[in-house]
Amino acid sequence: MTHLELSHISKQFGQTAVVQDFNLDVKTGEFVSFLGPSGCGKTTTLRMIAGFETPTTGKVMLGDADITDMAPNQRDVGMVFQAYALFPNMTVAQNIGFGMKIHKEPESAIKERVIEMLALIHLEQKGNSYPAQLSGGQQQRVALARALANRPKVLLLDEPLSALDAKIRVSLRAEIRAIQRKLGITAIYVTHDQEEALSISDRIVVMFDGRIEQVGTPFEIYNFPQTAFVASFVGTLNTTDAEVIDPVKKLIKIDGVQLETAEELQGRKKGDKIKIAIRPERLNFVSVEKKANVLDCTVENITFLGSVVRIQVKIGSNRFNMDTFNNPFLELPKIGAKEQVSCSREAVIILNS
Amino acid sequence: MKRGSVVWSWFWMILGIIYFFLPLVATFIFSLKAKLGVLSFLAYQQLFNDPDFIKGFSYSVMWGILTIIVGILIFFPTAYWVRMRLPQVRTAVEFVTMLPFVVPAIVFVFGLVRTFSHPPFLIVDSPALLVLAYVVLTMPYMYRSIDTGLRSIDVRTLTEAAQSLGAGWGTILFRVILPNIRVSIISGGFLGFAIVMGEYILAQYLAKPAFAPFLAYLIQQKAYEPAAATIVSIALTWACMGIIQLVGRGGSQPQIAGGH
Repeated sequence: MTHLELSHISKQFGQTAVVQDFNLDVKTGEFVSFLGPSGCGKTTTLRMIAGFETPTTGKVMLGDADITDMAPNQRDVGMVFQAYALFPNMTVAQNIGFGMKIHKEPESAIKERVIEMLALIHLEQKGNSYPAQLSGGQQQRVALARALANRPKVLLLDEPLSALDAKIRVSLRAEIRAIQRKLGITAIYVTHDQEEALSISDRIVVMFDGRIEQVGTPFEIYNFPQTAFVASFVGTLNTTDAEVIDPVKKLIKIDGVQLETAEELQGRKKGDKIKIAIRPERLNFVSVEKKANVLDCTVENITFLGSVVRIQVKIGSNRFNMDTFNNPFLELPKIGAKEQVSCSREAVIILNS
Repeated sequence: MKRGSVVWSWFWMILGIIYFFLPLVATFIFSLKAKLGVLSFLAYQQLFNDPDFIKGFSYSVMWGILTIIVGILIFFPTAYWVRMRLPQVRTAVEFVTMLPFVVPAIVFVFGLVRTFSHPPFLIVDSPALLVLAYVVLTMPYMYRSIDTGLRSIDVRTLTEAAQSLGAGWGTILFRVILPNIRVSIISGGFLGFAIVMGEYILAQYLAKPAFAPFLAYLIQQKAYEPAAATIVSIALTWACMGIIQLVGRGGSQPQIAGGH
């Protein structure tokens, strides 16, 4: 069931179009991430859902209600900010109970909910502390509890982990996801961190230059990027120009070498120029004799990245990265060695230009 | 630091202290000489027993408190609104807040008298005019203190956080923002209060009872009491500054940086 619906949303600041024709349906209990680089319009879109910005055109529906022009304090939407935004003059408990107090709920109900929320974020002992006495991770958990205490219809999270160090980010994102699942609340999460988006979301909306590039599950976004931008932004990807040889047999060539793809080439004809992509982990050195998708290469560089070893090879005039899992008995080629690499048909992704 | 420069630093500091405190000490000692041949607090006793002193002092305290209240009610929402919604007018507003520094008080008071002494604004006899004039006079200190306080917190995010929790403008202003800039507001308030306590021209020309006109009158009439009144006035100003310091120190809490 659609819970939040954004139809043909656009936002203009002066002459600059920050968001253009944004359409999205979010189901009840779904966790959707807006992913994109700085300035792509993801935060502006979130702020339009929260009511801090008014769309230039389009409509925001929450359930059956049109909330496009509704004031932020009327929307029943909880928000977690990058800068925590806890009220420094109030204790943790007062912060969490603030929204309920505004809604004039009975003191006993507020007290009960605050205790419940403190247990949810595992800060039972910190009710009487002030925000300045907490660490960054603790403050953000309090901000999450405060946003949830009012039982909002939608939870909005604007890069909530950006100000935290790497280890806390990983543990807190898992905690946020677990709490969201437990409460079954619809959540919209803004991030520029692809790993964060891939690990936490039911669906990801990849944005660039104010437009949606692709909407899909993390699996779809990573494995089947539909545009060159998504391919380059999500994960590491080798992209290159290719030419269609036989659209029916799904044959293409790069630098004179023939490759077979599993993707449809309908609508394309022989000689058409296309862009293809291959993930580094889908390339392997040829160990047994293979006939299809084998490319001659020269090893140019080897970089040790911990769990992965990245090998840069030159195929024709293209430089490709290939990733292989590290193990103590891994036999690596020498730099300058002539080798052959191959990939499966499914690994050759055709990008929409 | 070289030994020579340390010596010079001390020299200039001591010279500054002497320059500042010598007249104060002299005034204080003079105020103790009301009784012939001995040092006593007779001048202070006479001062505190003088009903005109009590009256002038009480009125000034009242004008000061009213000025602070009216000033906060005007400048706090203004500074907040400029910061949140009208950053483009900030330079113009800052210029206006500086005007009391460039318009002499005597010019200001004659402007007030001319403007408000005939209909439709016949309020020259009203104490409200004096309070509003004091609000204008203390504007540079109060507005700037409040604005500095607003700069020290993330006003926009706190406002949006409160809004997302259902708060209206009144709640946001007085329950979220104001408590977090209370040190700045108190500082501005006490500075304003100190200015009002020592202000002469407005009270004199608007013919309202106040401490400074009483002091001026006293100087013409008596010898030792004016010195005692000056010391009392300075002590009051210092007390205000001390309170600002105390409140300022109490308002800060340790910030724990880092992660979990």
